[in-house]
Formats: sequence, structure tokens, C-alpha cells
Amino acid sequence: MTIVHMKDIVKRYGNQLVLDYVDLDMVEGEILGLLGPNGAGKTTLIHALIGLIKIDAGDIQVFGTSHKGNSLDIKRQLGLVTQDISIYEDLTARENLEFFGGIYGLKGQVLKERVAETLSFVGLSEYANKLPAKFSGGMLRRLNIACALVHRPKLLIMDEPTVGIDPQSRNHILETVRELNRQGTTILYTTHYMEEVQSIASRVVIMDQGHVIAEGTIRELVERIQHEEKISLEVAEVSGELISRLKKLNGIKQVIQKGNELQIISQVGAGNLDRVLAIAREAGGVRSINAEKPTLEDVFLTLTGKRLRDGEAE
Amino acid sequence: MTVFSFVFKRFFKGVANIAFISIIPLAAIFLPLGEWHPLPGGFQYYGIIQLFLAARLSGIILEDRSNKTLLRIGAAPISHFQYLFQNTLAYSLIMLMINLLFVLGGVLVHGEVLINPGILLVLYTFFGMLAISFSLAWFSLFDNKEAAFSVLTGLAMLMAMLGGMMWPIQAMPLLLQRTALLLPTYWLAEAILRLAGGATISQLIMPIAMMLLFSIGFIFLGSRKRLF
Ligand SMILES: Nc1ncnc2c1ncn2[C@@H]1O[C@H](COP(=O)(O)OP(=O)(O)OP(=O)(O)O)[C@@H](O)[C@H]1O
Ligand SMILES: [Mg+2]
Repeated sequence: MTIVHMKDIVKRYGNQLVLDYVDLDMVEGEILGLLGPNGAGKTTLIHALIGLIKIDAGDIQVFGTSHKGNSLDIKRQLGLVTQDISIYEDLTARENLEFFGGIYGLKGQVLKERVAETLSFVGLSEYANKLPAKFSGGMLRRLNIACALVHRPKLLIMDEPTVGIDPQSRNHILETVRELNRQGTTILYTTHYMEEVQSIASRVVIMDQGHVIAEGTIRELVERIQHEEKISLEVAEVSGELISRLKKLNGIKQVIQKGNELQIISQVGAGNLDRVLAIAREAGGVRSINAEKPTLEDVFLTLTGKRLRDGEAE
Repeated sequence: MTVFSFVFKRFFKGVANIAFISIIPLAAIFLPLGEWHPLPGGFQYYGIIQLFLAARLSGIILEDRSNKTLLRIGAAPISHFQYLFQNTLAYSLIMLMINLLFVLGGVLVHGEVLINPGILLVLYTFFGMLAISFSLAWFSLFDNKEAAFSVLTGLAMLMAMLGGMMWPIQAMPLLLQRTALLLPTYWLAEAILRLAGGATISQLIMPIAMMLLFSIGFIFLGSRKRLF
């Protein structure tokens, strides 16, 4: 069942066209990865979905109704994990959850139980009565997520929930997202990180500069660029002759040298893996060889001609 | 009423807030009679304290904006009106409670010198509402908490001086006396003087109506900007 239907969404800030006729649909039960570089318009699109900003044109239906007149009904079933950590520093973790649960109408014993459950779900039970000032980056992120879970939203929107934290906390959060999805929550997961989307999303929408540039399952997207494969080759010694012999092979597009390693971009199906191996053996021995399947990162690179993000850090 | 109840939680967690409300009004109660004003000094100046207290109270909304929790509140099923209403109601109750304690303290300390304390409390209540709506309107203009706060402090002092809280309005040049009528502080000062001079309720209607008008105007200004 379709629970989000956004059609031809246009949003301008001044002269800047931030969303340029964007479409987005979500079906119940999925984890949709929304991927795009800085300034692509991801947050703006999310805010439009929630009804936080006015759009200049387009049609938005969430849970089958539009924001006009039904905004509060829609919001009741939504959860937003904000991109920036937005919690009260002077309230304890528990009080923060009580507040954010409270504004969704929970109260009394139910609120208390939900708060305790949520704290334990994100692994913060021990810190329930501590002020966030004492929290690590990963704990803050988990609290930031927890604040959107107390009321058990049907649709959870996560705007870059793992920015700037250590890999362990990140894995914890990804596991949390999977578990929520198993329990039936539909999730819109926004990120810069390809690996995250690849590991949790069932479907991906890629945005760049206010446009949706690709959409589909990860496999579908990867198949779109299946005409290329990357062969990584580590040899005992790299010589100019080796490189020029490789370059002469049919279907080889590029040979990049990094120390003793060669990266070879080749047409798929040209049967170059065997030939590359043979040539490298002749030239003095192969230490390792690896033919990589294209990743989402490669999809993005192919579609836009640019990298999504340099390195891991923010 | 989550927003409402958390205003109390958050306000009374602030050490500076506790210090402010316990020390300043208490010290003001004990100020002696001045030279020109018929009431003890603290009761002449109390409007300034109210302006500062209102600024501290409404700072809570400003904080929601600066720590971005307003975004979450905007995503939650609570209307803009409810949010403002619950905040303002809580501020008003805190303000009212302190006004009450202040006037009670005044009666205990000054006895009969404090003319007509009941009506004085009514005047402070109206001015308290005005001070809160003024702060809200003011803060809706700013995104930076520190800047908004420090400018407001100066502005409150200026309004108090030009509005006739510190010295008789007649001591100022005619032009300033005229412009004073446009300051909300003038109407409190004027009402207090009239009250101390033995005015009847009907003579207080004009200043009270003016304070009410100012409040409505400021509330309008303050809620015009959509916070989310
Ligand atoms: N309130 C605003 N006023 C003016 N411009 C804005 C506003 N909000 C966003 N923009 C602009 O819109 C563009 C898209 O911003 P948006 O935050 O939606 O991108 P994003 O994909 O979420 O990026 P990031 O990954 O950095 O969070 C940016 O160029 C940004 O500068
Ligand atoms: Mg963003």
C-alpha cells in the first residue's frame, strides 16, 4: 500500500530552485534510502513531506490524505529524526523522551512505559537520569533517534541519523533501524553514506541538485551500469610495458596505477579478467587479483560524474 | 498540556532563574520611599523587574528555536497556536505568582504605606501580561538568543526611564513627555501614580485599557512569524 505520494514538488528559496519537480512514493513496510550529496534537497523534501514548509507547487499525500486540514492527523503517525541533534540539554534523557512523547498525546502510565521501552531499545536505560551534556556523540545520536520513537510512528523519517559518529555506534543504529522495520515501521532513511543504504535499504532514491536522478532497488540501479567492471590487481613490480600492454587489450577503458596496485576499468563481458591475469603473470607474478562488482557509489559516479563524498568524515 | 508543564520544569531548573526570582523581588520589597514617588521604591520600579522576568521566561521559546527542538515540535501533532498558548499561559502563571508574593511581601514590610495593594496587584498583572507579550514579539525578531537578550535588557531600561518609572515624567522635555505616551511602561507608571493619588477604578480604566491594547498588539506581532 502506498503511504507517501509526492508528485511534482517544486520548492524555491529566493531564486534558488531547491526542489525541481520531484516525485517520491513510499509503500508500507519498506526502508527507502534517500541518497544525495550536500545541498541536494533531501532535508527540504522531507520537511515538505511532513508539512513543515510550504511548497510552491506539487501534490503531497501521506497516509492517503493531504496536509490541508489533516496535518495533525498525519503528524500523529510520523516520527522525525532530525539531521541536527535537537534535544533539551537541561533535561535528562528520560525527561526529553517524556516531553517528546507527551506532545504526541501520550500520558500517565502509558507514557512512562513507552519511555522506558524506548530507552532500553536504544541502549540508554542506564543513562535515563543523566543530562545529555555528559553523553558521547553516539549516545546523543541514539537519544536523538529515541525522541522520535516514543509514540511509535508508522512512518519514521530519519534525516542523516548517523552523521559524525564512530563505526560501533553506527552499527548499533543500523541494527536499531532494521529491528524497527521488522516490527512493521516504514522508514525513510536519508544519508550520504552508500554503505548504509546498501546494507539496510530495500529501495533507493538518488537526488542531486533538486532532481531525482535515479530510483529503484539496489540491484536495478547497479544493473544500469553493469557494462563496466573494476579489476584490482596487485603485482610484484609495475613496469611501463605492463601498463601499455594492458591498455592495448580490447574493452579496457582505463588503467590507474597506485604503487604496486593497478586498477583496471573494463567492459563487462569482454573476457578481460583472464587476459589481464595472463599478462600480469608474464610480467613477473601476481600477488592478488579482484574483480569488483559495481556499487551504488559507482552508480552515483556514473550518473553525476562526481563522487558522493570524499572519505568517511563529515 | 506537555508544553505547559515543561515550562515549569525547565524554568525552575535554571539556577540563574531561581536566583533572579528569589533575590531581586525580595530586595526590591525593602527599598525605602523615594523623594518624589508616593510608593516605596521597589513598587515604583517593579515594572522593570517584570520586564526582565518576562524576558527570562520567554527565553524558553527562544531556546526551542536555537536548540532546534522547535523543528521536532513542528513535526508533532501540536498546532502553532497550542504551542504559543501553553507557553504563554505558563509564563503568565509564574509571573502572577511572583507578583502576588511581591505585593504580599510589600504589605508585610510597609503596611499602610502601600496604598491599595489589591488594585496594585491587578495593575502588575496587566503589566506582566504586557511584558510577556512584548518579549515574545521582540524575540520573534531574532534568531540569536544572546543578541536578543542583551538588546532587550537595554531596551527595557530605556523604556522604564522614558516611561516615567525612574523620575517624574514632567521632568523631561515636552517632546519626550509626548512620546512617552507611546511607551507601554508609561501606562503602568501613570496607573500607579493615579492609584497612589487615590484614584477610583474608573480613573484607572484608561491606563489598563492601554496596557491591554499594547499586549494584544505585541501578541499579534509575536505570533505572526511562523515558528514552524
Ligand atoms: N531555509 C532556507 N533558506 C534558504 N535556502 C535554503 C533553506 N533551506 C535549504 N536551503 C537551500 O536549499 C538547498 C538544499 O538544502 P537541503 O538542506 O534540503 O539539502 P540536503 O540534501 O539536506 O543537504 P545536506 O546533506 O547538507 O543536509 C541548499 O542549497 C540550501 O542552501
Ligand atoms: Mg539535509
